[in-house]
Amino acid sequence: MTEQEIFDKVAVILEDRFDLDKDKVTKTLDFKKDLEADSIDIVEFVIELEDTFGGEIPDEDAEGIQTVGDAVDYIKEHMVAKD
Amino acid sequence: MKIAVDAMGGDHAPKAIVEGVLRARDATEFRDTTFILFGDEAQIKPLISDGHGIEIRHTTEVITGEDEPVRSVRRKKQASMVLAAQAVKDHEADAFFSCGNTGAVLACGIFVVGRIKGIERPGLMPTMPTITNDAGFNLLDAGANASNKPEHLHEYAKMGAFYAEDVRGVQNPKIGLLNNGTEYDKGDDVHKATYQLLKDDPDLNFVGNVEATTILQGSADVVVTDGFTGNAVLKTIEGTAGAMMTLLKDNLMHSGTKVKIGAALSKQAFKGVKAKFDTSRYGGAVLLGCNAPVVKSHGASDNRAVYYAMLQIHEMVRKDTVTKFKDYFAK
Repeated sequence: MTEQEIFDKVAVILEDRFDLDKDKVTKTLDFKKDLEADSIDIVEFVIELEDTFGGEIPDEDAEGIQTVGDAVDYIKEHMVAKD
Repeated sequence: MKIAVDAMGGDHAPKAIVEGVLRARDATEFRDTTFILFGDEAQIKPLISDGHGIEIRHTTEVITGEDEPVRSVRRKKQASMVLAAQAVKDHEADAFFSCGNTGAVLACGIFVVGRIKGIERPGLMPTMPTITNDAGFNLLDAGANASNKPEHLHEYAKMGAFYAEDVRGVQNPKIGLLNNGTEYDKGDDVHKATYQLLKDDPDLNFVGNVEATTILQGSADVVVTDGFTGNAVLKTIEGTAGAMMTLLKDNLMHSGTKVKIGAALSKQAFKGVKAKFDTSRYGGAVLLGCNAPVVKSHGASDNRAVYYAMLQIHEMVRKDTVTKFKDYFAK
């Protein structure tokens, strides 16, 4: 899966979960600062990433995922086969 | 109808859970119902002599009272509680029930069964007794959230009104906002903003702010509050009622023969008080705002409390209350 494909899938999750327009989802979008996500939002998002991409994201790693770019990089490194 | 039951949750599990489920299974209302019991088959099977209407799903893990809620739900994937919730997510069952770790039940409801689209934060809602009648009142949020926004409290008012009307049969339920005074400008910013939202909602029969001193007298059919306050109020009511009963008993038993005779003569009245504060008959606390009925009963529940929770769940599924929420909040 390419980085763009990962980004597109993450974007769909965020658009649905936070009622966002597609053009609002960028790699620098910060979950807490820009989306005012609280701990429940973050856990729900992490679980959806696990369901979508397979595998598990340990809590200590999840804490480091703060932006869309962080999420895409993490998934690329740890959750999907590299192309 | 299928109800997914965590048979391993609670102080008296699996015995009390299985006995309560069997009592429900044998009642006429439940002819259409299959109970799926999730838990240790070796412990559950000997408790069941007639297995009709019962399915057992053997599970190998249990979430205990000491487990950290969110982490255990995410990590103990073979736990009875998690698999019961998963069955609801997978549309194998219509509702989820547990007497286990409250935080973990809430996490199962929010993260496994999932939230209804349009509901930001599900709220935990017990039905509490009122001294003026047998209808009781609903209190939400009783502790699913540590902090809430006014919009969440508005959601609770709408969901609580729906539930009171649909499941408890209260016509045009009175909605009260729990506050530190009845005047409209009482409370912190969250409560002031919530007051306006509830007042401006034409679908709600909002009766204004209510104080904790009047809620047991039925000042509202649905008492809306933030999770922090709601939890403190719930525990204060439980603790005060328990302390009063203990105090009364102690005084009656240690105050000489005359008082004991008086107590014996008043037995019927004491029974009436006990029956009034018997909250088991209202069922468990519902996590309102999830994609299916999620019901949590007290950890110390006996088979009677489990039976009443089954009745409550049956009513919610039969009336399709959650679909009505979904349709309403999709607007």
